[in-house]
Amino acid sequence: MTGDTAPAVRLGRAEHEPGMLAECRDVARTYGRGPTAVVAVHGVTCRIRRGIRLAVTGPSGSGKSTLLHLLAGIDRPTAGTVEWPDLRDRATEVGVVFQGPSLLPALDVTENVALPLLLAGEPEDEAFRRARSALSRLAIDDLAGKLPDELSGGQAQRVAVARVLAARPLLIVADEPTGQLDHESAERVMTVLTATADELGAALVVATHDPFVAARLGQEWTMRDGRLHGAADPDRAERNGEAK
Amino acid sequence: MIWRWISGLVRHRGVRLGATAGGIAIAVALLVSLGSFLAAAQGSMTARAARSVAVDWQVEVQPGAKPASVRDLVRNGPGVLRSDAVGFARTTGMSASGGGSAQTTGPGVVLGLPSTYRGDFPGAVRTLAGSDHGVALAQQTAANLHAKPGDLVQIGRAGLPPVSVRVTEVVDLPQADSLFQKVGAPAGAQPSAPPDNVLILDSRAWHALFDPLSAARPDLVTTQIHAALNRSLPADPATAYTQVVGAAHNVEARSAGTAVVGNNLGAALDAARSDAAYARVLFLFLGLPGAVLASLLTAVAVAAGAPRRRREQALLRARGATGRQLLRLAAAEALLVGAAGTIVGAVAAALIGVTAFGSARFGASGADATGWTVAAVLAGLAIAGLTVLAPAWRDLRGTTVASGRAALTRRARPAWSRYGLDVLLLAAAAVVFWLTSRTGYQLVLAPEGVPAISVSYWAFASPALFWLGSGLLAWRLADLLLGPGRRLLGRGLRPFAGSLANVVAGSLSRQRRLLAHAIVLLALALSFAASTATFNATYRTQAEADAQLTNGADVTVTESPGTSVGPAAAGTIAATPGVRSVEPVQHRFAYVGADLQDLYGVRPDSITSATALQDAYFQGGTARALMQRLAAQPDAILVSAETVKDFQLSPGDLLNLRLQDGRTKQFTTVAFHYAGVVKEFPTAPKDSFFVANAAYVAQRTGSDAVGAFLVDTGGQNTTAVASRLQARLGPATTVTDIAHTRATVGSSLTAVDLAGLTRVELGFALVLAAAAGGLVLALGLAERRRSFAIAGALGATPRQLRSFVLGEVLVLGAGGLVTGGLAGWALSHMLVTVLTGVFDPPPAALTVPWSYLAAVGATTVAALAAVAAVTVRIARRSPIAVLREL
Repeated sequence: MTGDTAPAVRLGRAEHEPGMLAECRDVARTYGRGPTAVVAVHGVTCRIRRGIRLAVTGPSGSGKSTLLHLLAGIDRPTAGTVEWPDLRDRATEVGVVFQGPSLLPALDVTENVALPLLLAGEPEDEAFRRARSALSRLAIDDLAGKLPDELSGGQAQRVAVARVLAARPLLIVADEPTGQLDHESAERVMTVLTATADELGAALVVATHDPFVAARLGQEWTMRDGRLHGAADPDRAERNGEAK
Repeated sequence: MIWRWISGLVRHRGVRLGATAGGIAIAVALLVSLGSFLAAAQGSMTARAARSVAVDWQVEVQPGAKPASVRDLVRNGPGVLRSDAVGFARTTGMSASGGGSAQTTGPGVVLGLPSTYRGDFPGAVRTLAGSDHGVALAQQTAANLHAKPGDLVQIGRAGLPPVSVRVTEVVDLPQADSLFQKVGAPAGAQPSAPPDNVLILDSRAWHALFDPLSAARPDLVTTQIHAALNRSLPADPATAYTQVVGAAHNVEARSAGTAVVGNNLGAALDAARSDAAYARVLFLFLGLPGAVLASLLTAVAVAAGAPRRRREQALLRARGATGRQLLRLAAAEALLVGAAGTIVGAVAAALIGVTAFGSARFGASGADATGWTVAAVLAGLAIAGLTVLAPAWRDLRGTTVASGRAALTRRARPAWSRYGLDVLLLAAAAVVFWLTSRTGYQLVLAPEGVPAISVSYWAFASPALFWLGSGLLAWRLADLLLGPGRRLLGRGLRPFAGSLANVVAGSLSRQRRLLAHAIVLLALALSFAASTATFNATYRTQAEADAQLTNGADVTVTESPGTSVGPAAAGTIAATPGVRSVEPVQHRFAYVGADLQDLYGVRPDSITSATALQDAYFQGGTARALMQRLAAQPDAILVSAETVKDFQLSPGDLLNLRLQDGRTKQFTTVAFHYAGVVKEFPTAPKDSFFVANAAYVAQRTGSDAVGAFLVDTGGQNTTAVASRLQARLGPATTVTDIAHTRATVGSSLTAVDLAGLTRVELGFALVLAAAAGGLVLALGLAERRRSFAIAGALGATPRQLRSFVLGEVLVLGAGGLVTGGLAGWALSHMLVTVLTGVFDPPPAALTVPWSYLAAVGATTVAALAAVAAVTVRIARRSPIAVLREL
């Protein structure tokens, strides 16, 4: 596991620009070794500031998901560094909406939503209160006692968003949240996501290849062959972030 | 497409396929190794039965027939190898003078043996003292007459003057019961006791003395033709029995009424075929549950991957695959695992055969080998069909594409649970057990002389029903704990899972069907291991008790008849290296009324220092209580149940016995008081005998002569100690050790090398218990790697991930161990009770093999812990890496 051996990640920094949530410097991520190694992300430098609404687009296999995983801290770079200068606890302050089914099948909807809070050490009563509140705000509290396999794809993604909302993160990273949904469901999920980010004042980074979704977010970086291209020029991206 | 599918399965689902094939291999190996062992065991039962007979046929020449022509007839009979004519003459009594007194016996028999007899029938006569030819006195007769080699004995002849002969040896007639049988007695008739007094002459001398008697009183003289048969018999005792009985009938038919065959070999095979039937019952009791368990293990291994298989099926159906195509794919998978499991199982069975039984062949004959090979293939394919193909077919019929993609949904309680099938099965087990008890647990009925054997397979139903009922009850209890008891479970898990306890409990609750299956499987495996181990341990204990009853102790020193050795000689024996303690036991003959019985005088305070006394040997008190009574009341006596019945005795009744006085050599009356019933006693015969206080017997008879010294060696080096004692005490003393006795006594069932069978069976039980816990858990957890990876991505620490795994391990381990332990305990009692007929003597209590049970428990816990450790390790890997692999 090459990715497990390069702990070039750091939380909080004594001197940093206010509002700087994540910063990648010459980050690379390679899967496998030798002739079969796949370079998913190559030499990416970027910054994510508080409040940004950003779409990361690009064809399948271009490295969007890997970049988001690196930004979320759930994967480690094989080269370069990732830092979260303005975050104190990455686990609770970064919320992730995964591509595809991401709910634990053995837990009901409320337990799934409360899980990150419980994992963060929140008392049980408080975790479940916030979970119910998140479900209620997304108007899906009727799903509270259901199991993931009893939900439709759109419902499951809204529950995944509720899980993020309940944790109140500063950075929301969503990997293809509408990839398996019809247009109507995708619209609903994106509405919920942006509303959640607005409510929390969080940065929202969405990997997508849907131009309609990208258009809703205002800013767009493009990944191709593991590199940020075009509008994704690091400096410009940074300025865009600041401008937002 | 099928090849591509199979190739994909092998590459990507190798672990699950391997587990499935492994389960099939265990079932096949268990069935084939036990089955082929028992087939071979039947062959050894036949051989052993044949070896136990000294004289195969005793053909009695009928009045008026010529012995020479009957002998010719027998000699030309089917399978007859050797034959000798033996004379039987009744004497009015014998007498001898010696030591200043004259001894006289009651009526007896004088045998006339040709000089070739001992060579033709080497097991019929055993020399105890003197030369091995000439005039021989049977051991008891020598004791009655107080005669030894060199003494003169007078033989009484009805209507003729007595004659004197000089004794040259004292002999033992090991098979006196059959030698003096009433030839031609109807089947089921009470066996006649052998004569108390026997003298053996050379044929020539016998004819000289008894031909005149034969002329005057032909009713007192008979001739038998003793025959030895070719021992190349069929392996199956029942077939061998039919063959030998048929040959005897052939001789009788050709004799036209001049000969009647006493078929000793047939009688021995008759008993062996009962044992063979018991062996089949044992196979059913001990082998089949293991195979069922291995099949269930296979089914659970397949079921652990069922959600994934359903998703794959749903995907293929969504892409246009027909039901027939999907069934073909499932059939190919079943064929693959069935063939792999069968091959591995057959190879394992052969290896087990080599290591445990010394042969890789499946059975004693070519037919056996072919039969068991075919059985292995059929069993492997049947299990694969039932566990792989049948669920796939059921899923195809019962699920839609959408429902097939769902991994975990709520399901109603199974129908059997709603109707209380578990309780019904347990109740039925109790009823059948009670009904079986009414027949005295006689599972095998083989009426003497009837070729057909009746085996009560019905008795098998009660443990089987109990086993299944307890498994289903374990399911219900697990379901109750994980369902309605979820809050309670959450509280129990709090020390391990902290604030996640209720979530972990909830997670376990949603997976309770799979968990309950695993708990049931573990409980069934543990109860199988516990009950078979306890049965085997109890069987071993009782076989050892049987050997010890026969031999008396680890080593027994028997004094020659006519000699008078006091208890002080114990000091010489005790000084021999390897001897831990020595206990003298008197052996006398006592008349109760006209009946002569053995009497054993013991030192009640110390008898157990050299031999074991089980409570089952006595009635009316425990072994310890009755020995204490003999010590406290010196004239107390223990008698056989038959004597109690014949003489209508009540506790405390006076019992006057006539014993020989050591000073006058005359029989004198000694008063005893009946204190209890003795059924078995070390060195004592199977029929009636007495046990009394040695000091009282010595005081009242004026003799403290010891019959035998029981020697305790702590069970160690018995043969070596026996050799040392024999060298020290000389040839006049008989020294026997338990190792030799163990090999020669007991039924043919106990003679079968159950040690190898036990090792194999207990080994399988251990593997099944470990697999039931570890493998099922491993497969379940492997299916949930995605859940662990997502939890990791959501911020779960290794400790928190561990709490999910630990919760599952604790519930499975505790549930399986507790329910399996309880069911195993009850099943052990049931098995030993139902199979009472196998034990000789019947056990007073179970022998619990604690070390083996501890090993099973430790192996199960170790398997669970190993799986948990590996799972935690996997869960700690980068969640994205894990998710990419899935």
